[in-house]
Amino acid sequence: MNCEVCQLKELEVEHYELREVLRCILHTIVFQRALGLVRPKDIDLELFEITYVQCGDAEVEKKIDEKIEQFISWVEKHPNKKSQICLSFYEVKSKQPSWFTNKIERLYWEQWYVNLNVSQLPRAHSIKSRHSKVVDPGESASEERSARRPALEASLRDVLFQIIKFVNEKKDHVPPISEGVIYFPFEITIPRKRSLENFNLVFDGRKIVFKVALRNYFLQFIGLCFWDGYDKENAADWASNHAQLMEELGS
Amino acid sequence: MDFQTNLQSESGKLENIISQFLLKILHVILDSRVPSLHSRDQSSVYRVRKSDKWFNLVLGDRPSALDNLNFWHRNVMDPMIIDIILVHKDPNSIGSLSSSCNETVIERWVVQYESTKMVHHPINETSSSYKKTYKKSIVLLRSLYTHMRLLPAYRIFRQLRSSSPNFNFDIIYKVSSFSNPFSRADEESMCEYAFVPVEALPGRLCVSVTYRSTLIDFNLEPLVSLPPKIITDYVGSPLPDPMRSFPSSEKGVRATSFPLRGVRPPSSAPLERPHSWSSGFQKGAPFLQNQPIGGSPPAFRPSPPSYDFSSSPSDNYSHRVQNFRPPAHYRSPSYDEYQLSPPFSPYASPAPSTYLFGGNPIHARKSSETAPVSIPHPIRSSRYLSPNFSDPNRHSLPPISPRSTKHDPSSQESTSANRSYRRTESVKAGELHGAVNHSSVHKMVRDNKDDSGRFSGLLYSSGSPRPGLSGSSSRLSFQDDLDDCDFSCPFDVDDIDTSDSTASQNLDAKATSELSSQSHPLGRKSQDAAVGVLVHMLRTAPPLRQDSSIYSSHSLRPEDPEGGVGTASGFFMPRKTADALEELRSYREMKDLLLSKSGTRVLSREEA
Repeated sequence: MNCEVCQLKELEVEHYELREVLRCILHTIVFQRALGLVRPKDIDLELFEITYVQCGDAEVEKKIDEKIEQFISWVEKHPNKKSQICLSFYEVKSKQPSWFTNKIERLYWEQWYVNLNVSQLPRAHSIKSRHSKVVDPGESASEERSARRPALEASLRDVLFQIIKFVNEKKDHVPPISEGVIYFPFEITIPRKRSLENFNLVFDGRKIVFKVALRNYFLQFIGLCFWDGYDKENAADWASNHAQLMEELGS
Repeated sequence: MDFQTNLQSESGKLENIISQFLLKILHVILDSRVPSLHSRDQSSVYRVRKSDKWFNLVLGDRPSALDNLNFWHRNVMDPMIIDIILVHKDPNSIGSLSSSCNETVIERWVVQYESTKMVHHPINETSSSYKKTYKKSIVLLRSLYTHMRLLPAYRIFRQLRSSSPNFNFDIIYKVSSFSNPFSRADEESMCEYAFVPVEALPGRLCVSVTYRSTLIDFNLEPLVSLPPKIITDYVGSPLPDPMRSFPSSEKGVRATSFPLRGVRPPSSAPLERPHSWSSGFQKGAPFLQNQPIGGSPPAFRPSPPSYDFSSSPSDNYSHRVQNFRPPAHYRSPSYDEYQLSPPFSPYASPAPSTYLFGGNPIHARKSSETAPVSIPHPIRSSRYLSPNFSDPNRHSLPPISPRSTKHDPSSQESTSANRSYRRTESVKAGELHGAVNHSSVHKMVRDNKDDSGRFSGLLYSSGSPRPGLSGSSSRLSFQDDLDDCDFSCPFDVDDIDTSDSTASQNLDAKATSELSSQSHPLGRKSQDAAVGVLVHMLRTAPPLRQDSSIYSSHSLRPEDPEGGVGTASGFFMPRKTADALEELRSYREMKDLLLSKSGTRVLSREEA
């Protein structure tokens, strides 16, 4: 079973649009992969004339919202950057416990990369700030904003169509639906504080290979766990992978 | 044998999946496009039916229109073509008797099971293929559900579903196993999207959509109500049908369509298209288009007649020709209704009939063609009306004088209509009242520069403020105030009618002698003038208690005024006795006049 990867079209969003855009995209993806019994829930975006569909599960909503909040706080600390959110669907495979490991392996079978270019117009403050400094950025900024809005709406629509197209084209890799399960387990990974710029992550089936492309790389691998929810490999696998990584970085 | 039975059961299961797939897709599409079929029961206590669990997509109650899908779609190999049709009324033709509606197919969904008999599939593949088919069709339905919300037609569907005003368009659907191809012009404006076919060995399920990329050209917009206000709870005249029940004002209920949902001959659709059914109307249907408007009752009364009256009056007003939405409480559709639904004959709406009345907000009842009773007398009073209210049929304005009412052959009607109007709340009545009163006041009190408010305070000295005169947007009808007030007024019609018929007759007799052909303004003028003079005198009269020095400053006549006038009313200025006598006489006359019209309470106050 291979892992299908979908890189979504990059969106240029402003800080205050992030929440809506991310909710729309992430929920749409999850709904496509919520193959259990669902009662779909239509949600209208406030900033755009787009209606997306949620699977109606409260847990899903909570999980997505939490991740979005984390991402937004990250973006606040790293403004005006390109960033990526990865939504991965996995299967849980219990591995035979060995001396080092006693854990469950996740087998990723699908990954979605939401590419964002978050911009903040000058002198525009986050609404979440404690002092509630919602400074009016000025006429030119609002004009620019209103000009960008339709373009962003069109791009967001394109992203949703892209999701639908991908979902339709690739169906064979979807695991069987378990009884009583509404949606496939998934995780959302966001950049972390110590994260590095412009990394790509590709999981390739069982063999987990890190392929990190970066400009300035500090090897702080030991003890670092980048990914939220990432389960540590056993020592042997890690060592081999680490070695491989070093090789590839050197090349 | 086992192999064969396996195959048969497999193929049976596959066929079942395919037919359920068709049903589900139809449900999704209609649920997302046709407002009248949309189930509003979105409560969380909805118990999921087994039939709704197909493809793990719970949509709610299925419209019963889908039940007859099995009747005609016997062959799973036939394509199922769902046309989403926009019924758009030409905005230029609104208000004209011959309204034209355009139908345009804005979306066409084609669902088909294509058989591919090419390769012989191994048995083990086919054995569990239906499970794969089922899983993939679940995925397809998810993506279709999402996709439907991204197409342009979804926005206008949402507009129609909103509780906002009426629109000049509606959406209907048509399901058939064949379709007319689009014209070249149409094709150019349409885009196509095909979902990836789902393997359903020995064939595959294909879903595609052809849709208009933009709907801007249609000028879809909410209908703007005409300037005259709508009487929201107008109950109409009881005269035409005394047994008729009157609706309560249900603002949320939009049931214009309802009377039009009628006894459509069930054979009509099948005769035309043996493998299709549709909602609304189709081109060429003989009984559909260009129904006689107004006047005759719609040919398609709803089976429960009470639903006629359950619509709010605002619904019946003018332009809800296109709204096919049944009332919310009528949500238990039966097969027949959905075969005939949504209402197909917007033209039967009496909307244009409102134009017969010059666009006044008189409530046009859908079920009965009785227009609100017209009261011709305001024609004569038109000179007293402000220019805006020149509609002869506006009988919210009380008749200017009782005489004119009595002489009107339809006076009985008008009187009762007046009474009915007492119960109506009309901003316009209040405004009109104010406008008329202002004009009349100015006529009466030409020299008096006091504001009409004070004047009214004298005139209607019962103490209740006159909302019309004060100019506030009172919603009390004019007659209501009159009823409450003991004091007479120039417009006092109903007091005469209700209180003393003989007195009114006397007045009438008196009035007729005074009136010329267009006499009622003059007659009124004399009465008004008398009152005006009285008031003027009262205002200009000196206070009751005065220093004798003031009196001495004037040239006093040595003789005492005769008739006891001077002592009787101490506020008289010293003047000639003759003048005083005359005044007294005029006072007495006025007193008699006023007494005859109303109670004595106020007049006794004057005498004191």
